[in-house]
Parts: sequence; structure tokens; C-alpha cells
Amino acid sequence: MTTKWIACCLLFLLPGFAWAQQAIVKGSIRDAVNNEVLTGATISLKGTNNVTATDVNGEFLLYAGTGERQLVVRYLGYRDTTISLDLKPNESRVLRIELLSSYARLSSVLVMGALQGQAKALNQQKNADNIKNIVASDQIGRFPDPNAAEALQRVPGVNIERDQGEGRYVFVRGLAPQFTNVSVNGEQIPSPEADVRFVALDAIPADQLASIEVSKSLTPDMDGDAVGGSVNLITRTAQSSRPRINASVAGGYNDLMRKGNIQGQLQYGQRLGKQEKFGMLFNSSYYHNDLGSDNLERSPQDNEVELRDYQLTRTRLGLSTTLDYKFNPRHEIYLRGLYSRFTDREWRRRYVFKPEEEEIEKGTKDRFEAQSITTINLGAKHNFRAFYLNYEAQYSSGRQNTPYDNEVTFVAGIPSTLGYNNPKYPDITATNFTDNKEYELDEAGFGHTLAKDRNLTAKFEIGIPYKWSNNSGLIKLGGKLRSKKKSYGITQDYYSPIADVPTLDAFEEDPIKKSFLGGRYNLGKPLNVSSFIRYFNANPSEFESSPEDKAIDEALEAYDAEENVYAAFAMARQQFNKLMVLAGVRYERTKVTYNSKDVVINGEGDLEGIVPVSDGSSYEFFLPQASVRYQLSRYTNLRAAATFSYARPNFSEIIPAQEINQEDKVATAGNPDLKPVGAFNLDLLAEHYFGNVGVLSGGFFYKRLNNFIYRRVLFNSPYPLTGTPMIDEIDVVQAQNGNKANVAGFEVAFQNNLSFLPGAFKYLSLYANYTYAHSTATLQSRTATESNPNAVDKLRLPGQAAHVGNISLAFERKKFNARVSFNFNGEYLSEVGGTSDDDIFVKNRIQTDFSAGYAINTHWRVFAEVMNLTNQPFERYMANKDQLIQREYYRQWGRFGVKFDW
Amino acid sequence: MMKRSWLYIMLAAFFAPACDKENDDLVTPLSANAFPQIVVFDDEGDGGLEDEDAFSFKLTLLDRNDSTGKEPAGRIIPLKEAVTVNFKVIDFQGFSKIADYIKAVKALYEIDDCTTSEDKGIDVPVQFDVTTGIGSVSFPAGVEEVEVEFEVDEDLFDDKLFNTKKRELTFQLTGITGNNTQVQANKTAAFNYSIQDDEGIYGEWEVDHKNAAEFARFKALFGLVNEDIKNLQASEVDEIAVEFEYGEVKVVVKLVEEEDVEECGSVERKNKEIEIEASIEDLTDDELEGDVEFGEKLELDNSSIAEFVYKGTFKVTGKKLVIVLKGELDDEETSKVTLTLEK
Repeated sequence: MTTKWIACCLLFLLPGFAWAQQAIVKGSIRDAVNNEVLTGATISLKGTNNVTATDVNGEFLLYAGTGERQLVVRYLGYRDTTISLDLKPNESRVLRIELLSSYARLSSVLVMGALQGQAKALNQQKNADNIKNIVASDQIGRFPDPNAAEALQRVPGVNIERDQGEGRYVFVRGLAPQFTNVSVNGEQIPSPEADVRFVALDAIPADQLASIEVSKSLTPDMDGDAVGGSVNLITRTAQSSRPRINASVAGGYNDLMRKGNIQGQLQYGQRLGKQEKFGMLFNSSYYHNDLGSDNLERSPQDNEVELRDYQLTRTRLGLSTTLDYKFNPRHEIYLRGLYSRFTDREWRRRYVFKPEEEEIEKGTKDRFEAQSITTINLGAKHNFRAFYLNYEAQYSSGRQNTPYDNEVTFVAGIPSTLGYNNPKYPDITATNFTDNKEYELDEAGFGHTLAKDRNLTAKFEIGIPYKWSNNSGLIKLGGKLRSKKKSYGITQDYYSPIADVPTLDAFEEDPIKKSFLGGRYNLGKPLNVSSFIRYFNANPSEFESSPEDKAIDEALEAYDAEENVYAAFAMARQQFNKLMVLAGVRYERTKVTYNSKDVVINGEGDLEGIVPVSDGSSYEFFLPQASVRYQLSRYTNLRAAATFSYARPNFSEIIPAQEINQEDKVATAGNPDLKPVGAFNLDLLAEHYFGNVGVLSGGFFYKRLNNFIYRRVLFNSPYPLTGTPMIDEIDVVQAQNGNKANVAGFEVAFQNNLSFLPGAFKYLSLYANYTYAHSTATLQSRTATESNPNAVDKLRLPGQAAHVGNISLAFERKKFNARVSFNFNGEYLSEVGGTSDDDIFVKNRIQTDFSAGYAINTHWRVFAEVMNLTNQPFERYMANKDQLIQREYYRQWGRFGVKFDW
Repeated sequence: MMKRSWLYIMLAAFFAPACDKENDDLVTPLSANAFPQIVVFDDEGDGGLEDEDAFSFKLTLLDRNDSTGKEPAGRIIPLKEAVTVNFKVIDFQGFSKIADYIKAVKALYEIDDCTTSEDKGIDVPVQFDVTTGIGSVSFPAGVEEVEVEFEVDEDLFDDKLFNTKKRELTFQLTGITGNNTQVQANKTAAFNYSIQDDEGIYGEWEVDHKNAAEFARFKALFGLVNEDIKNLQASEVDEIAVEFEYGEVKVVVKLVEEEDVEECGSVERKNKEIEIEASIEDLTDDELEGDVEFGEKLELDNSSIAEFVYKGTFKVTGKKLVIVLKGELDDEETSKVTLTLEK
């Protein structure tokens, strides 16, 4: 009844459109040799503009006119296939189509490898309605990328921020991570971290994924809060009645730590029943990595240098499953689940040389952090005669638990001098600074934090196919509700000595590395935190706690928030011969409430009070979206998109937690009235695909950001900013809206076999992409004063690199393949300082990786990977390139293993 | 076989988190709740003039987090049960036997600003062996601090000579009686009581405010940090004293004008006073002349905090103290001012 009512309404609203009697053609497309599903294959009805493409599971759905019809199936690298059908009114026809490769190489044992992954990705990219890049699972395996962030760095226009050498956050077209929306199976996932929305993608093992989609232009059926782009991580689904088991085992070595690492993955998938109605897939993976870094940091303002010796143990556990049941070709339900757990035990042993204070600090931090992400999607797809209906409920949660964060610092009254003749390695002169007898306890801090973020989402989508003259089209309508709860709790205790606690030599341990920064600095014996804590526990009467510092830290950082999002969209997709037009509008309304605490510090620097605060805001957006694709030739597309989108502020900026420090005459305040960043995006792209599975593409993009968020200082302002002032004059630092930013750039990408080259060179293939972006952001000038508070500075957008690119050269012959990959991340502004002299930049970095594989037979393959061949450091500088403030080295690490596919 | 392998690997994956080194070589520190109550001396030391007839030290508890949230900066959480705190004299100088100086001991605590346990006749058990220097005192439940007061021989050190040798006693806590892990004593910190020589700089010195030049110099010096002193007329002043005490300097201007002062329920007519207090940073107290430096934080009219410092030299000759000081407050400073004070 309901479905008829909806159909009638739409018929009434859209006069002039025709719904002839139709048949439903549903099917799957596979490789004829290895039965692999082929994603992104085009299926068209000959003589019409009725075209569709297979999804990530190689399945398609076509509403077709009745009678004698010819179905044409095309797939890059495979022979075109035409199937004749006689379709009757209201018939549901199920097809299983197998395609033959047009290249011998594809049908050989190597079909399991690189080229087929590339074909899957490029076919999906070619047939997508919007501008997107796809990394297929087979492609993920080509590069030695253990997590989703590192797999994404190979995509044009994507660069990543690393932590301890491993990729973590994703920047799309150089926009900071909060401008990129991250989803699992099409639905946003919450961030395990406390004060941000974006997700650290190093928590998700790459081998849990069937593919990764990076959408650079939006369509109305996608979430609108994506300015840079939208990343969708898709988990795997069972494909055939034959049990498929994939497994890999690898062991490796980290050259800096001189320790091994292990990795394993096991996947089982099978469709059961006579008609393969029930599918189940289980995937598990585990990665244990011992790593570290040698880090040198400098603070030019304070004339201080830090030597940091990092030791880390990281693990990644991934468990995912997909269970689906197809009642018949038109109705199915599914349950998808993903659980990932990333743990990070970090020991940071460091010296801080403070010549101005004639002090040297020495201490160790021992911290364990576990991030977990859980998503469960329960949904159904129904294909009725006149329309289809998809709906889904999702539960997802992100959790970051730090059960302990213990840091102990000793201090010695040893004078030191620092010389910067060689800015890369400052000269440090300090007599006897490695003698631990010189160091007395300064402070011990013991912390525990728990951040939780939970989403409950319900959504539906209705698709109504129609015909306009001889052109097929689709109207889509949908809605979504999402309820988010986010909270952060912290326990932090500080202890200082009230007695003669033994000097550091009583708690020392042997160094963990043979040398630090190539033997340039002698770190002596470091502090063992556990040894100190044993003493602390046995002698508590020698310590006093600092309840004031505890109260300030805990009150300032803890909060809880609720956010409800209501969204609806309407769109139409119309094919006009070679032109596809997709247009529509999305509406999103967000209602947010927060609870946090204000901290008031009096003129003498003492805590005066902690005041609970509750606040909230709401905002809404109408987001028109339009995309066109014109098929110049069978292999060449022109694309354009004009879209509106936005980005929600980070929780840390919007929660009303405040610190009013009357001693320093500075108040920092959250801004619950902060508006989201609005964006208008223009994209133009030309792409030419090669029949032998390759692509050459180039395009321009432009983004105009309104209400850009920046940190503003309101000099000598009354406080609070509204209502009765409690303080007449104080400098208030607050994230505010009001300024604009523009980003414009172009990107080019090429990937293909170099088979035109002579001799053995013909077995080479090249994968290359480059993105240039230019941005300007207008901010309140750092030189603004009370007399000219509206002075402005023009800067590059923080996080936005002008140059980003990849070059990967592969050799593939018979059963052997090898690849050397260069990933280039250009310099970018990392932190906006109080003055331009304080601006901090991250320097260019080129990482070189090598991987090779050998297929022993159709089931077994061995592989080897070496990362960071050239030992590229992570480097930051302040204001000018000669003023390096951080250099961090990781050395090389690698793996060797075996993969099994059955 | 294949099924069994699958099972093994799934089990391995399930237990994989055990390999994350969460607990490797981990020692968990005492939590804030498990952290014991610590009994400490409330100060590192005190001092009194050589003719004092008593001295005392106070024992208190370290501040803890206030779970009620009323005092977020933390407060003393009184004990739920009384404990006995043991102490001893670990060192003494300037006399041969403790018994020569200490005559008796008592303990008390404040019930409110006007009432002590002694006033209410509450007995706080305390004992002190003048032979061994070992003592103990009960730290009652429900109180924030307990004071141990020693009655001493006021004539032992009261001579007419300037003594350059130290005369002092040092106490240390030795523990809590019983096996109470929830209350512990800080056994390394010490309390030092020093006997101050009133032939030296310690004690009260008077400024001759009737001497116009001397009064002007006094105003120029201390008017820097006190507007009332800056605007003072000699006719308004009854008496001006500069007191050198243990770790502290007090400048007290007693005005002619009187006011009613209520103290513990009784009203008394007293002279109004202007007072400046400052902590001694440096003082050559074992000689009759030397350096002096004292200072303190001060809230300015615009609510900001500034620190003032007075630095200079002094010379004691009999009952006369000549002190040469220069004051600094933020960017302001006085010229060098010489004051001549008398005992």
C-alpha cells in the first residue's frame, strides 16, 4: 500500500515522464577463469541509453523494457560480451555472466595479482557518476601498506600525516583531516579520539577491506559534511558457493629497533544453499610491530633542545564479517560487522636541555593506548517492479582507552650550551649530563583517559527508474537520522617529592638502542618508569599530590556531547545518449548539546572555581549538487561537478569548556555558536582509459570556503563575551568564523603498462599521479592589536600541501613482479603561530618503498616488502627552512611472507 | 584438517590482543584513592627570640582531592580514626641536654578560630622523653592539624651578648604506631626551631616618625607598595615598627585613630594599623651587619599581580639598627634609603 502511494505521488509530481511496463534484470559478472567478481563493469541495453554498472560485489540491477533485448557487457581488459534476452512484462531475470580476458596475462595465474585489481578499480572509476578514485583490495596488496591510511596515500590528491613513520590521518586535496568524511560501508564512523571528528585510519588494517573509495565530488545521496572528499571503506562479501580461503603469514624486521614483526590474515567466504542464498564471510587479521624513532626537537624561543628516544609496540587486530541472505533475486538482507583494535605501547625517553634555566630534564613516559572501532550494519535491499527500496540501521562506536599514561621527570642543575652551526644536529655541550646521580625528581604524572563516541543511524533510499523519450533515468529519494553521543573522561594525578627521593641512578636501565641518531649523541642510561613506580608505591609518604593541577586538567578536558543529524535528499540521474546528468539537493539539520566545565584561575594563579556549563547549537544546510559526465568516446570521459558541502567544527573548538587565567590575563573559550565551514566546490576532469587497463586523467578543482574557522584573539575584551561581564578586560582566545579561504589546483594521473618499450622493458608498468593546490586563507592578523584588531593576514591553509604525488614503477613477468614506489608529500603549514616567526611547517618528504612477489602456483605466492629505503626523516621547521625544530628518523623496516588463495 | 586449522587461527586472532604488551613490565601506581593520608610538619621551621617561654610545631595532613567538588583545588580530609604519630629530636645545638631547655609538653588543636581543645578540656595524648628526645602525639580524628607545644626555660639563652653560634633543635617524624598503611608519616622532612638572638637584627625596631626627615624617608621607601603610607601625615601616626621575625619582615604603622575590633565575641577599642608583610629572601642573621632582602606579591589596582622586593644592607650597633634599602615594584623603584631604627 505504502509503496503504491509513494509511486503514485511521484507519478503525480513528475508529469511527462513515462513508466512503461518493465522487466528487472539482475545479475553478477565474473572472470571466466578464476571466478573473481568484476566490479565496475558496464551493462547497457543496446539501442538505448539504459546503462548501469556492477557494484563492489560484481552485481548489477537494470530496469529494462520488455521484448527482444541485447545486453552489452563491457569491462576494461576483457572482451565485450553481448547477451540476447527476451524479456516479458514484470519478469525478474537473473543472469550470471562470465567474461574472458582479452590478454593472456590476465588469464594466467597472475590474474590474481596486480592487473585485475587495477582493472576493478579503473572500471568502477570510469563508470562512477561522480569523480572518485578507487583502490581495490588486490591493489592494496600491491603496495606494502599495512593500514587504510597508507593504502590511501597512493590515490591522486591524497596525502597523509604520519605518526612514528606510519600513516595516520588523510588529507584529500590538501585540506586538513576534519574536511574529509570517513565511512565504513557507506556510513560515517565515529572517531575514537576525544576532541576531533576525523578518524585515525591507522586503526583499520588494510587487509580487512574489499576496496576504498575516495569521492572528490559529492552526490545528494552522500553525507554533505565533506569538503575535501569522502572516504568509504568497504568490507568484503562472500561471492560464490565454492569456499574461498585467503591467508597470509609474514614476518619482518625493524632495522632501528633490531626487532621482528609478525603479520597474519585469514579469510573465509562461501555462499551456501542450492541457490547460494546465504553468504557468509569472516576475515581476521593481526599485525604486531615493534618500531621506534630517533627524534630531535628544538624550541627556538626558549633556546631548548630535546632528544627523544621512542620505542613502540603496535598491534592491529581486525575482525570483519558479512552475512547476507537473498530471499530471491529481488529481495535480500545483510549484516556487516567490522571490529578493529589498534594498540600502541609507547616508551619515550628524553632529555630537555635548558641553558637559560641552567637545567637539564631527563625522564621517561610509558603510555598504552587502545583504539577500537566497531560498526554493525543491518540492512535490506528490495527491488520492486517500479522502484527499489534500500534501508539500513547502523550501530558504530569508537573508543580510545588509555589505561595508563605515566611520565616521570628528573632534573639536574647542569649548565649547557647549544650551538646551531649545523642546524640538523645542534651541538650540545653539558658536563657530565649522562651522570644520573646529578638528577633529582621533579614530578611524576599518572593519567588515565577514556574517549567514547557512538553513532546510531537509520536511513532509507528509494530509487524509481523512468524513461524520458528513449532515455533512461532514475529518481532517488532518501532520509537519514543519526544520533551521536561523545564523551571524554580523564583522571590525572601529579606527585612531587616532599623528601629526598633517590636520584635517577636508582631507577636507571640499560639503553634500548645501541646508538641514537647515528651515534651523534650519548644518552647514557635512561629512567625505567616501572622501577620508579615500585619505589613510589613503597614510599608514598615521600610524595605529595597536586589536587589543584588534577582538578584543572580533569575539568578542562572532560566533556560529553550529543549530536542529532536529520537528513533528506532528492535527486535524479538522467542519461542523454552520451551525456549523464545527475542533480539534486540534500538537506541536513544538526542539533548539538554539550556539557563541560569552566575553570577560573585567579590573579595569583590559583584555582578559584570550577563551574559546570551546558550549551548547544543547531544549524541546517540545503546542499544543491550537480554532476555531469560526457562520454567523448568509449574510453574517454569528460566530467564536471558543482557541489555544496560543509564541515562541522571539531568538538574541541565548539565545546564550551573555558579556562580563565587572570594571572596571565588570557581566557580560552570554546564557542558553541561556531558555525560549520560552508564550501562551494567546482571540479572538471578529463579521463582517458586504455583498453589494456590503464588511465590518463587530468582535472582542475576549485573550492571556496565560507565561515572558515580560525583561532582569534580578542584583545582586552570583557568576559564573558555576552551577558554581564565578570572581568572587564582580558584577552580572549576563541575559535571563530568569519574569514574566507580559497583552494584551487589541478591533478594528473597516469597508469598503464609500458608494453611499447623494447626488450624486457615491455614488462614495466607505471603508476604516477601529481596534484598541485594553491590556497589562501584570510585570518585575523597576528600583528593585530587593540588599535587595529581587524588587520588581516593571508596564509596558506594549514595542512594544505602545494605538491603531492606518487610514482610507482613495476616489473611484471610471468610469475614474478616487483615494484618500487615513491610517495611525495610536499611541504605544508602545520601550525599557525602567534606571529609569522612562530609558524611551523612540515618539510617535503619522499618515502621510497619496495615490494616483490612470486606466484609459486595459482594458490601460493611469496612476497617481500621493504619500507623507507632511503631512511627519510620527518622534519619540521619554524619560519625559515634553516630553523629546523624537529627531525625524526625511523630507518628501514620490512616483511617477508607467503599468501595463500584457495 | 582444514577446519581445524581455521579454528586454530581464529583462536589465535581472538587471543592476539594478549600480545599488545599492555602489561609488559608494567607497575601500576597507587591510585589517588589508594594513596595514603600523609602526616607532615606544617612548616619546615620556626624561630623565636631567646627569652620566649614556649615554642611549638604543628602536624597536619597533605591536601587531597575533594570528591564533593566544593573545594576543587583540594583540601585536608581529616582522619576517620585517630593515629599516634611518633617523632624525635634528631639534632640540637647550642646547649648540652634537651632537658636543660624543654620543661614540659602539651598538645592541642583548634576547634574554631577562638576555641582550642584545651579550652574545652579535651585531652590530646602526647608524651616526650627529654632524655632521649623521643615523643609521640595523638592525631585525633576529624581535625586538620594538631599542635605540639613545648614549655621551655626562658632564661637558658637570655643573655646580653650577641651569639654567633647556632642554638636550635631539629625534629623528625619517625612513623605511625601500628601497621596502618592508610596513614603514613613523612619521615624524611624535618622541623627546625631556632632560637633568635635579640642582640642581633631579630625583634621589633621603631622608626622615629616624629623626625620629619626620617618619616619622609620611611614614606619614600614603603610608600612604593602602600598608598596609605605614601599619603600618611606624621600627625596621624602613633607608632611605626619594623619587626624581623623568623622568615618574615613586618612593617606596622599604628595610627592615632582608633576603631572597634571584635575578637571572639568581645569588642575592644584599638588603634588602626597599616601593615606590610614580606618574606625574607636573604638575611645575614649570624652577624651584626650584612645583607637583607625581602619581598612579596602584591595585587595592583588593575587586579594584576606584581612582586615587590626590598634589598640592601643593615648594621646593628647596640640598640640601633641602620638599614639601607632600595625597593622595586614592577618598573618602579626607589632610590637607596637609609633608615635609623631603635629598639
